[in-house]
Amino acid sequence: MKGYWKYFRKKLLWLLITTIFAFVLNFLLPTLMPGDPVAGIVSRLAQGMSTSTGVKEIYENYAEQFGINKPIIEQFFIYVRNVFRGEFGVSFTQYPRPVSDIIKSAVTWTIALQLPAIIVGWILGNTLGAVAAYRKGPFDKALLPLSILISNFPAFGMAVILLVIFAVRLRWFPTSGGYGFDMIPTLSWGFVASVLHHYVLPFLSIVLITIGGQAIGMRSMAIYELNADYVKYSRFMGIKDNQIVKYVFRNAMLPQLTGLALSIGTMVGGSIVAETIFSYPGLGTTILSAIKGQDYPLVSAVTLIITIMVLIVNFLVEVFYGFVDPRIRATQAE
Amino acid sequence: MKRTMIVLSIVIVLSMILGACVQPTAAPTAAPVVEPTAAPVVEPTAAPVVEPTVAPTEAPAPTEAPVAEVKAGDTVLPRKETLYFNGQQWGSVVGWNPYSSSNNNAMAIAAQDSARVIMFETPYIYNMMDGKQYPLLADGDLVWNDAGTEITFKIKAAAKWNDGTPVTADDVAYTWASHIKYNTQFGAAGKPYIENIEAVDPATVVVKAKLGDDGKPVNSMIVQAYLSSNYVIQKAWTETLEARIGAETEKFLTDPAEDVAYSGPYGKFFADDSKVVYIRNDNYWGQDASMWGKLPAPKYLAHIIYKDNAAGTTALQAGEVDVSQQFNSNVQDFWLKDNLPISTYLPEPPYGIGASLPTAFFNLAVPGLDQVAVRKAIALAVDYDTIIANAMTNQSATFTQVPRSLMNPTPGEQALYDHEAVKDLQWAGNDIEGAKKLLDDAGIVDTNGDGNREYNGKELAFQALCPNGWSDWQAAMEVVAAAGAKIGINITTNFPEWAVYQTVVTNWPLQEGYDIFMMWSDGAGPTQPWSRTQHLMHSMFAETTNNWNGNYGGYKNPAADALIDEIPTIDDPEKIKANYTELVKIYLTDVPSFTLMYRPQSFHTVNESVWTNFPHEGDGTDPAVPPLDLTDGYSIAGLYNLTLVNP
Repeated sequence: MKGYWKYFRKKLLWLLITTIFAFVLNFLLPTLMPGDPVAGIVSRLAQGMSTSTGVKEIYENYAEQFGINKPIIEQFFIYVRNVFRGEFGVSFTQYPRPVSDIIKSAVTWTIALQLPAIIVGWILGNTLGAVAAYRKGPFDKALLPLSILISNFPAFGMAVILLVIFAVRLRWFPTSGGYGFDMIPTLSWGFVASVLHHYVLPFLSIVLITIGGQAIGMRSMAIYELNADYVKYSRFMGIKDNQIVKYVFRNAMLPQLTGLALSIGTMVGGSIVAETIFSYPGLGTTILSAIKGQDYPLVSAVTLIITIMVLIVNFLVEVFYGFVDPRIRATQAE
Repeated sequence: MKRTMIVLSIVIVLSMILGACVQPTAAPTAAPVVEPTAAPVVEPTAAPVVEPTVAPTEAPAPTEAPVAEVKAGDTVLPRKETLYFNGQQWGSVVGWNPYSSSNNNAMAIAAQDSARVIMFETPYIYNMMDGKQYPLLADGDLVWNDAGTEITFKIKAAAKWNDGTPVTADDVAYTWASHIKYNTQFGAAGKPYIENIEAVDPATVVVKAKLGDDGKPVNSMIVQAYLSSNYVIQKAWTETLEARIGAETEKFLTDPAEDVAYSGPYGKFFADDSKVVYIRNDNYWGQDASMWGKLPAPKYLAHIIYKDNAAGTTALQAGEVDVSQQFNSNVQDFWLKDNLPISTYLPEPPYGIGASLPTAFFNLAVPGLDQVAVRKAIALAVDYDTIIANAMTNQSATFTQVPRSLMNPTPGEQALYDHEAVKDLQWAGNDIEGAKKLLDDAGIVDTNGDGNREYNGKELAFQALCPNGWSDWQAAMEVVAAAGAKIGINITTNFPEWAVYQTVVTNWPLQEGYDIFMMWSDGAGPTQPWSRTQHLMHSMFAETTNNWNGNYGGYKNPAADALIDEIPTIDDPEKIKANYTELVKIYLTDVPSFTLMYRPQSFHTVNESVWTNFPHEGDGTDPAVPPLDLTDGYSIAGLYNLTLVNP
């Protein structure tokens, strides 16, 4: 266990260092984008004005309010202070709405759509992959090409195909929105049914693609492991098949777990396609329009969330590895 | 291990699905009930009373408050009582503050030439069909005093706020005073032209124009336009807001104003990340005989937030949208091919009424483009019919139908210049030979035999730009580039992101490579076509920074400036026409910029599955209701004419 603690401390230190760097970059990169975010707001206000002095006045007013005329280092400290207070400032594109408010209302939709889809896709994909590797034969021959085909579909292509077939042509599912276009959210069966009905296609568009990719990865990992020396050795030792499969699965799963962690960490960005095509509410489209509108506070806040999610998930996976894989502990103990 | 993982995962999945179902009620803006004392809608047994009026603290809600026919539990908006829109609201509503136009509540707040008047109202409403301002909150026509220095008007006796208190002259005066005090964009825009707005008595307002040295208003058109483009906001509510913000004056514009009082027929019902719904105030004062004499037909106005045009179009086809304010390409296919009950204002191309003129500007500081011959040759060679057919899918009049000038295609503006006098200067495009001859005559020829012309020994090569993703503009710029190739001028296209593009074109000197670039020009309004002409040609905007007005290419012509400055001071219509005619001549001769297409003020496509009797050409309305989505300016009259297809 001593080795494990050493390993843990080292990972924690790295987590802190990466977080600090990520934090600085998170602030810096959006502000380095070319263009002027206040110009966007002012351009909306300036229409219908007949003098240029009035426009200038308004421009300076907003520049002052957003602090973009301050030196970048001062802006950074304001940003740090705000983040520690749990504030991210006011959005430029959805001015005067606070960034935290925008994220709060969008993030639940994204998590509710992405997390189950990723996990279901991951479980199904890995199970199918492992089964294909183990059983071989026609199942494997059918699954592999199918998985390759599906996993190579661009995400938007899958979403559009589902939309056209099941929503536009067959009309089994609605074309857009998170719930019925004629509904007001309430806690009622009708509303819940409507949410689920709207959930199906965006969910499937993510699950199908995830399954394909995961199945391919798991299959090749499992085949590799099945041919490993320890499997042969176990067989010679007369260990039961069931037990061997457990060993194999555990070893083959390691890289797959990293994959799962990463896709959970980056799920915000991953939801852009499904959200756009199905007009589904969520963070994906929020960040897209924030980037287009140079909404630094919103971009920084969302990327900070993504960064922290990736870092934490990675950290957890590494901690978990330490438990699962004795080899890691062993190297640290030396 | 495996089993634990699977069990764990299933638990997470189930919890997430449950989370998905519960989430919307947790959304911060999701509270569907605006009346704070009303029972929450989530309570299934609660009485389904939804009080549409936001009761201010001092006034009790009217006792005969309307009861919304929305059942608690399965809260579904009745289809036959709801009018659905698209193309106006593209993100979640951020607030209800009418002092702030950076507020994105597009359906409720758009203080513009044809101001959106479903929730807040202006004294007058503009009708782009005849160019007149009709009284709304005001009683009687808009008239100047004999000296031409001030406008006096009365407030209608029937006009009331949603809390039941009367709209007074004090409200009008206080609104203006607040715009000035807090330096809102409306104050900044009006200040150079309006001296003051005062309440003579509770019902009488005097608007005093700022006077020049000659004792005449600096610009009477802008003073007059103020009255149909700026909302009257309740004084009592403004004072509540001021008390709330205290010394933090910058919050005056950023307050979300959930409690705002309004005088219009609709108020807030519900808003979240997916939609915004407005409910009719059944006590709306406008049902008085002195205004509309009845209530608008739909009980609810709803706008679903679609993520892009394609989603909006799909919903329109599915009958989930009644009024579409977005560009639907090949709109005629809806009725010709798909046999859907969808129509536009005109049954034939251009399907709508063009009001604004998307324009290509030349950067006059670029060697080559400082030559009139080069500019005019490019403009002559462009194939506008292709632009109109491809980029606009024929939803624009052609330049043969409406010859180019500074005017939009509305009859009012077209009558303002002498068509015969400028006939020889107008061009319809695709005139390759004419363009070549122009360049040859100017001595701008290909001297080194590479197929491209040179000017002062340098190859003529330019970039044509517009923002990335603005597909109709991009198509237009490709056609401009193609025209260059035909006359020996190398034009390449470049489409920067809007965020970068707008920063460059509004700040002189323009970045290198910004040679020919597109921007919009003004639409229809009470100050048009003067304001558009000023924005296209006046040197006050040339070579300036923070310039969102126009003349982005840096054109300077003192003769044009004088003619433009003179127009607001002229009373004689013939003299006004003479000035405009002269300006059109200068514009078509000097070609500092050129119109690429005509574009409607708003797209106005309607689906008649549920509602019918939308405004269309020859619908018998007098004055004609403009095709502005039944929300803007005088087009709100259309809401009172709607009927159900199957009552």
